[in-house]
Amino acid sequence: MNALIDLISSGIVQTVLIGAALLGAISGMLGAFAVLRRQSLLGDALSHAALPGVCLGFLVAGGRDLGSVLAGAFATGALAALIMMLIVRRTTLKTDAALGIVLSVFFAVGIVLLTVIQTRGGAGSLGLMTFLFGQAAAILRADLWIMGGIGLAALVLVLAFWKEFKLVSFDADYARAQGFPVTLLEAGLTVMVALAIVVGLQLVGVVLMVALLIAPAAAARQWTNTLGTMVMLSAAIGATSGAAGALISATTRGLATGPVVVLIVTGAVLVSITVAPGRGLLWQALAARRARARISDGRVLTTLHSLAEAHDDAGYPAEQGMLQTALGAMPPAAQINALERRGLIRPVTHPPETTPHWELTEAGHAEAAAISGAPDRTQSPDGSQQEGKQ
Amino acid sequence: MRDDTLHEPGQALHVEDLTVTYGTKPALWDIDLDIPPGVMCAIVGPNGSGKSTLLKAALGLVRPVAGHVRFLGRPVGKMRGRIGYVPQRHSVDWDFPTTARDVVAMGLYRQIGWFRRPGADARARAMAALGEVGMQDYADRQISQLSGGQQQRVFIARALVQDAQILILDEPMAGVDAATEAIIIALLKRLRDEGRTVIVVHHDLTTVQSYFDWLVMLNVRIIAQGPVRKVYTPENLRAAYGRQLAMIAVPAEGNGL
Amino acid sequence: MIAAFFGSIPAMVLLTGILVGASAALLGSFLVLRGNAMLTDAISHSIVFGIITVWLITGQISGPVQVLGAALTGVLTVVLTELLARSKLVKMDAAIGLVFPALFAIGVILISIHARNVHIDVDTVLLGEIGFVWLHTMTVFGVRVPVAVATLGVVLAVNLAFVLVLWKELKLATFDPGLAAALGFLPGVLHYAILTLTSVTAVAAFDAVGAILFIAFVIVPPATAYLLTRRLWLMVALAVALSVAACVTGYMLAMRWNVSIGGMMASMTGVWFALALLFAPGRGLVAQALRARADQLDHDCRALVAHIYTHQDTPSMAEENTLRALVEHLRWPEPRARAAILRAHDRDLIERRAGLLALRPKGAAEAMAIFGQAAQGPLSGRDRTAAPSLDASHPL
Repeated sequence: MNALIDLISSGIVQTVLIGAALLGAISGMLGAFAVLRRQSLLGDALSHAALPGVCLGFLVAGGRDLGSVLAGAFATGALAALIMMLIVRRTTLKTDAALGIVLSVFFAVGIVLLTVIQTRGGAGSLGLMTFLFGQAAAILRADLWIMGGIGLAALVLVLAFWKEFKLVSFDADYARAQGFPVTLLEAGLTVMVALAIVVGLQLVGVVLMVALLIAPAAAARQWTNTLGTMVMLSAAIGATSGAAGALISATTRGLATGPVVVLIVTGAVLVSITVAPGRGLLWQALAARRARARISDGRVLTTLHSLAEAHDDAGYPAEQGMLQTALGAMPPAAQINALERRGLIRPVTHPPETTPHWELTEAGHAEAAAISGAPDRTQSPDGSQQEGKQ
Repeated sequence: MRDDTLHEPGQALHVEDLTVTYGTKPALWDIDLDIPPGVMCAIVGPNGSGKSTLLKAALGLVRPVAGHVRFLGRPVGKMRGRIGYVPQRHSVDWDFPTTARDVVAMGLYRQIGWFRRPGADARARAMAALGEVGMQDYADRQISQLSGGQQQRVFIARALVQDAQILILDEPMAGVDAATEAIIIALLKRLRDEGRTVIVVHHDLTTVQSYFDWLVMLNVRIIAQGPVRKVYTPENLRAAYGRQLAMIAVPAEGNGL
Repeated sequence: MIAAFFGSIPAMVLLTGILVGASAALLGSFLVLRGNAMLTDAISHSIVFGIITVWLITGQISGPVQVLGAALTGVLTVVLTELLARSKLVKMDAAIGLVFPALFAIGVILISIHARNVHIDVDTVLLGEIGFVWLHTMTVFGVRVPVAVATLGVVLAVNLAFVLVLWKELKLATFDPGLAAALGFLPGVLHYAILTLTSVTAVAAFDAVGAILFIAFVIVPPATAYLLTRRLWLMVALAVALSVAACVTGYMLAMRWNVSIGGMMASMTGVWFALALLFAPGRGLVAQALRARADQLDHDCRALVAHIYTHQDTPSMAEENTLRALVEHLRWPEPRARAAILRAHDRDLIERRAGLLALRPKGAAEAMAIFGQAAQGPLSGRDRTAAPSLDASHPL
């Protein structure tokens, strides 16, 4: 414990933690819009396309200078986005092909530039590798100002144009009809997503950036139905994962930050998908169980009874799926068995179908009729059961 | 004629020489159209006849190759606040984190203006609009939890909350159950009786005569337009729908004039 | 002679690249047409997870067990992604962007932890070592051949056989999965088969070009071919040819500039794509630009003919069929209106009659063509509110 406190009070580690949290928050906040606008894979393409820009920044500045690197990454990212739109608009290639082309070619060019820098040698090339898989430990105090500034600018823009961004993300056609400058707003949002990517590269690197962009938002979505809450939660999840990942990777030798952060934030998604109230898989399973439990014996019997009446056949074999649809869920096996034991229903086969079927016995029909209060129409006047069509 | 002069202010919608093409394919040729105020107007035509395109071009969502459009004499850019648009339902992401009330409040964003937030007043008006379509109990439901008909009503409420003079709906009854259709038509008729103009791209010919009082028949060009009684005739139907007529309810020849 | 060929380092490096390119392009043609480009990108990343896991379990870095691991990893990636998307809690594109980074991250962490023990390191993952493929050799038919070449040779043969034997099934499943299913061609199985083969190819190519550059050969040459032809067999053939061309030119330039060979080969696929994008006959950007100018004028011409046709012999004709009307009612700037009138005049579509624009027979025919069946005579819509009596013999 003392070691941990010592660690955190170290200035370098504080810088790293603050930086990582800041980057995680920015990615989380803007990633929410990327996910809602189905730009997850565009994020992947832009982050791979940033590599040549990062290299160019290194070449121009002669070393790791955050400003140059960010500018370069943003420039090639923007170029990639424009080319992608050009391909989609002017050819019959689809979006995913355009994304794949831009992603792989820009990345390849980046690799070429990477080897150029490596053969030149020097401290520069080492710093470059930190942008491939992220290295929060490389964040300098001076960098915090740039990152803080970008974060603040993004926050201000998002707050100022909140309702316009919300409307354009939800229903662009309606927004256009209302007279909003939709193209400008959409471009603005995309530029901000690109900014989040470029900034987040230091934390997780070009290859894994897409996860930092969309995982916090995907996790946050499970917990709320309001956009505002989702964005804030997404920023919080991003910040926490970023800081935790940075701490772990800084204290473990040879472990890049990117993979650690990605695993933490993906874990957050898995947890959210499972346990989130109202949406999560666990909740869905429990709700289904509750629905099944609410099916009373009476409802099962009366449902079978009305099916038999509708088909004019007391021995009508009701198929499992029909029962499930009529009742909203399949009654638990225990309940079916109990009804069988009481002699109210019996299982039958109905070839050529192979799924389970049940029919009501005489006693079952009588009970069902008693429950619903109507006369038992499956009995003909002389007391024998009516046979229906086969 | 400059854009700011009044041109045909007596018509709710005035379209002249409108031509729209997608690439080299024509969608609308030389459309001349006049819809008077205070009517409930149906726009009908076979698939691909350009009905949606006509609405979109009128609203400025699609750029025409030729022609101009006026709403109550003014260009659409100056009339946005007074036109309520209900687009076709499928273009929306239903999993978006937003409730029914939120969606309706979006209809006020324009009035609220840049940089300001929707306040308590906006929320109240949104609730009132939901009430008009009978959806007030669902105000806090996320939209994917609503049925198709309920979703449609929410989007109509979004157009209502603007207190629009002219309502434009693109196939509002498509994929909606009979009960909801009845609710929607009653609502639209009530709005028409209040003096508003209701323009509907309608897909079901069998209900045109009972729902609407004004009719426009379209098939890339205008086939006929005017009061329903006068326009809904076998000849016009044949001209608009050609060989598809066998499946359509055609009024018996010799009546209805 | 043969031994000399297989002993020459440059020849082997080049051959490896060509084998990678060809195998990738064969499968990529179908993947691109099916819209699976980004899914393939996901698989080529998560392969890293597969390789390191297999190595941890079996200690093998290549061979049949790695091939099996590759196949399983590919399937795992696709299955997890589709499961996630099917829960409806996450959309498909987000699902792709969540699964492969997680697997890739696990792979990288495992590599970092065991970095000392294996020649895989982070650099190799990204760059491959195509320059060193000649280091590991094996003997095939008495000739010493690099392992990578032998493996890739087999992979190419398998891919080629797959594509040739299942040609019509692949073709149908790509363009009409519904029909394919109805005919019993199991498009779902084909889907997994082709993705599995892609994973296997990715692992085979791993040593040479690394995980991520592989993607360039799968997507870009087929996309380039798609810009040049719509005939499937020609597209596949062109894709392979372009891939090979990219490898050859990439190798030469990499040698010249002393840069990453794999990176240069992959970059060249982009260069060929750019060339096709610009200069493809008919579909390229240059051709489009040239056509647009001609089209605009023809367009306006037809609009003019339609306008005259609609308004001729109507009360408003005197006002409508004039240059001024074009400017005021059609909202065309005067130069554009004049250009349209001139063009229509040149094409013998219109003439001036009593100070107004009117259609000549050729123009009338064009108007008929424009309006097709709906042409009921030159009455404008406004005059048709009364029940018209149609006279099909109305003279134009």
